[in-house]
Amino acid sequence: MMELLRVENLSVEYDSPDQEPVKAVEDVSFSLDQGEFVGLVGESGSGKSTLGFAVTRLSKPPARISKGRVLFGGKDITTLSQEELRRQRCGGFAMVLQSGMNALNPVRTVRKHFVDIYKAHGNVEKKDYEAHSRQLVEKVGLQDSVLNAYPGELSGGMRQRVSISLALALEPKLMVFDEPTTALDVLVQHEVMGTIRELQKQEGFTAILISHDLGVVLESTQRVLVMHNGRIVEDAPSERILTDPQDDYTKMLLSHYGDPRAEHVSVPGLKPRDEAAASGSVGGTPSQADDEEDMTVTVTGVSKIYPARKRGEDSVTAVNNVTFTLSPGQSLALVGASGSGKSTIAKMLTGVERPTSGNITLGGRRVDQMKRRKDLRSLRSDIQMIFQDPYSALNPLHTVEYTLTRPILNYTDLRGDDARRRMLELLDTVGLTPVEQYAAKLPHQLSGGQRQRVVIARALASNPHVLVADEPVSMLDMTLRAGILALLDDLRVRLNVSMLYITHDLLSARLITDSIMVLNKGTVVERGQTAQVLQHPENDYTIKLLDAIPSLRTQA
Amino acid sequence: MKGRHVRYFFGKIGLFFVTLWAAITVNFILPRMMPGSPADAAIAKLSQNGPVTPEVRASIEAQLGMPKGNLLSQYWQYLGDVVHLNFGVSYSNFPQNVSDLVGAALPWTLTLVGLVTIISFIIGTALGALMAWKRGTAVDVTGTISSSFLSAFPSFWLALMLLFFLGYKAGIFPTSGAYSSTAIPNFSMDFISDAVEHSILPALTILLTSLGSYVMGMRNTMINTLGDDYVTFAEANGLRQRTVMLKYAARNALLPNLTSFGLVLGGVVGGSLLVEQVFNYPGVGLLLYQAVTNQDYPLMQAIFLMITISVLVANFIVDILYGVLDPRTRR
Repeated sequence: MMELLRVENLSVEYDSPDQEPVKAVEDVSFSLDQGEFVGLVGESGSGKSTLGFAVTRLSKPPARISKGRVLFGGKDITTLSQEELRRQRCGGFAMVLQSGMNALNPVRTVRKHFVDIYKAHGNVEKKDYEAHSRQLVEKVGLQDSVLNAYPGELSGGMRQRVSISLALALEPKLMVFDEPTTALDVLVQHEVMGTIRELQKQEGFTAILISHDLGVVLESTQRVLVMHNGRIVEDAPSERILTDPQDDYTKMLLSHYGDPRAEHVSVPGLKPRDEAAASGSVGGTPSQADDEEDMTVTVTGVSKIYPARKRGEDSVTAVNNVTFTLSPGQSLALVGASGSGKSTIAKMLTGVERPTSGNITLGGRRVDQMKRRKDLRSLRSDIQMIFQDPYSALNPLHTVEYTLTRPILNYTDLRGDDARRRMLELLDTVGLTPVEQYAAKLPHQLSGGQRQRVVIARALASNPHVLVADEPVSMLDMTLRAGILALLDDLRVRLNVSMLYITHDLLSARLITDSIMVLNKGTVVERGQTAQVLQHPENDYTIKLLDAIPSLRTQA
Repeated sequence: MKGRHVRYFFGKIGLFFVTLWAAITVNFILPRMMPGSPADAAIAKLSQNGPVTPEVRASIEAQLGMPKGNLLSQYWQYLGDVVHLNFGVSYSNFPQNVSDLVGAALPWTLTLVGLVTIISFIIGTALGALMAWKRGTAVDVTGTISSSFLSAFPSFWLALMLLFFLGYKAGIFPTSGAYSSTAIPNFSMDFISDAVEHSILPALTILLTSLGSYVMGMRNTMINTLGDDYVTFAEANGLRQRTVMLKYAARNALLPNLTSFGLVLGGVVGGSLLVEQVFNYPGVGLLLYQAVTNQDYPLMQAIFLMITISVLVANFIVDILYGVLDPRTRR
C-alpha cells in the first residue's frame, strides 16, 4: 500500500491574548495508506476537530500549527502559500463539515456551488459543467432537480448530501468527514452514513471519519485513532479496539456503549434496572398513589393539528389521537425521529400549546382548558421542563444562585435565609458540591454536564410532581450522560415524581424508563414495557429505529 | 419557482399602493381633526388691528379655498387634487402654487441627497467588506478609527467647518446656493459644471457623516459571515479568494446593511434640512424650514406628503431588492 498522508509530531495551539497559548493537539503522529478508511474518536475538547482542520490546512486564527509536519503525497503542506494550497485542494484533500446544514451559501443555488468549484480549478470543461454536476448529485442519491434549489429549500440530510457531492467535485484523494451526521435525525443519519461508506468503496478515496460516537466509527472504519486531551492514545484496527482495547480511556469509552436490544443493559454509574419489577401501566389504570392529592397525568385522545401556513398547503397533524397515563414515580419514554410529535406532546402537557381535541388532566385539573394566570401558574409549579441544550437554557449574565433563587421566590413561600438554604439544598440534591462555590458561579464557568445539573435543580425548585425531560443528554458527551441519567433516575425514586423522558436515543430510554411509547408522525405505533418493546419490537418503525443504532460490531 | 417570484413582486406592489392610499388618507383626516380652521386663525390675527368685515372674511375664505360639501365629497375632491398635484396656493410665496415650489426644490434635493446617499452606501459597504476581509491589519484599524470618528460629527457642524475652511478661507468652493447668481438654469455644460461645483461642499458633508455607519455595519456583519460554515467550506473547496470574499462572505453580509440603507433612503427628501440650511441650498429641506417659520400650511402639508411618499418608495425599493438578493424572502 502506498502511503498518502503522514503526520509528524504535529501540535496545534490556540493563541489567547493575555494567557499562555492553549495546546489543543499535542505531538500527534500517524500515517494513512491510500484507500484506508480511518476513524478519529474522542469527546468534545479532545482536539479531534482541530486535528482534522490542521491536516486539511483549514485552521484559522487563533488556532495555529506550532510544531510538526503534515506530508501529503510526500509534500509538506504546512509550509505551502495560500495560492499553492488553494490549487492543491483539487485532486488533494477535501473536508465535509460538522454542520453541513450550514455549509452551503444560502443565496446561491446548488448548481452555482458546483460552477464555483469548476471555475476555481478548471478541472472540468465548461460544456461539461452540467453533466458533471448531475452525475455527482446522483452519486450521493439525490435527483438532479436539486441543482436548481437554494439550500433553504432542502432538508438537513439533503444539504449534507449536497456538500458531500461538492467535496467529490474536487476529485480528492483524501476526504475528512468532521461529524458528518451529528446534526441530523437518527434515521437520516443512518442513511447518510450508508452513502458515505458506499462512496468510499466505489471511489476508493482515503477517508478520515471524525466522530464522538464510537459506534458510528466502528461500524464504518477499518482502523480507529482514539484521541484524548490532544493526544492519540490508541491507534489500532477496529476489530482490536472492540475486542482488545489497550488504553484505559478507550476501555472507558467502550463501557458507555450498550445495545438497547440486549437482555441485560448496564453502563458504569447507573444501577441496572430491576426490569421484572417495573410497573408498566401505560394506557392501563394508574396505580393509586397514597398522596392526599393524586398527581396522575392522564392524556386522553389528544390530537394537535396545525392549520396550513399558506393557501394550497395541507394542515399538519403533529399529534394524532394519543392516550396515556403517567402516575407518580413512574417513568415513561417517548421516542421517535424528529418531527414525530414528541416535543408537541411536551408543549401541550406544560400548557404552552393547546390540543385541537382530546383532554389532558393533572390530578383532576383540565390542563388543556387552563386560561387564567393563576391556574397556569400552579400548573407550572407542578410540571417542570428540563431542556435539551444546557448551553442556551441558562442566562449567561446570572449566577447559579440567582437562577435557582428565582423559581424559589416565585413558587414557594420561602424568603431570605430560608430561600438561600433551599437553593443550596437543591445544588446538593443534583450533586454540585461544594454548594457555596457552585452558587457563585456563572454559566460559562461550568461544563456542559454541570450546567445540565443546574437546569435540573432549577426544575426541582418548585417541588414539581411531573418532570418533562426533552432530550436532556443529547448535547452531552457519552461519559457525562450516565451521570445525568443516574441523577434523573435517582430523583424520580427519591422525590416520587413522574417523568416523561423524550428522546431519540433508545439506549438511554432503556436505562432509565419503565415503559415506552414509540411515536411515528404523531401516532403511537407501539407501546409497552421498555425492556420488552426494545428486545422484541413488533412495529416496523420501531425496528427501523433500532436498526439505525450503530451496533458495536465492526464492518468485517 | 417562477410563479412564486411573480407573486412576491406583485404582492409587494399591491402592499405599496395600499400603504400609499392609507398615508394619503391620514394626511386628509389629521388636519380636519384639529380644532378651528386656517381662516379663523387668519381672521384672529387681522382682528388685532381692527374689526373684520364679512367681505374680508369671505375673501379670505375664498382665497384659502374653504372646503364645501360633506366629508365624503371633500375627500373625493382631495384625492383628485393629490392625483393632479394640486396642493393650493402658498401663503408665504403668494401667489405661487405649492406644487410649483415643491417641483422646483425636489430635483435639487433628490439629485444631491439621493445620489450622495447611494454613493455613500456603495463606498461604505465596499470599504467595510475590505476591512472585514483584512481584519486586524492597518487598513482595518485606520478604517475603524476614522469611521467612528467621522460618524460622531454632527452634520451641521461639519458643514460649518467645511464652509469656513474650504469655502471662506481657502475660497476653493462657492459658499451658498445651488448655482451662481449669474448663471442661467439650462442643460448647458457651463451650468452643469457650475451646479456641480456648488454641490460639492454639501455633498461632502452628507457623504462624510453618513459613511461611517455603513462601513461599521458592513464590517461587523461580514466578520460574522466570514466565520460561517459556508465560507469555511468554500475555502476547503479551494474557491478563488475573490469569489469567497465577494460572492460568499460579502454577499450575505450585504443584506442587513441594505435595511439601514432603506431607512436612510426614506429620509432623503426631508432629512437634510440642516445641511441645506447651512449652505442655503434650494432643496426641500430649506423649503420646509421656510414653510414652518412662516406657518405656510399648504406648503407644509404638501412637503409632509412628499416625505411620506419618499419613505414608502424607499421601503418598496428595498423590499424589491431583498426579493432579488435573498431567495429566502421569496418563499
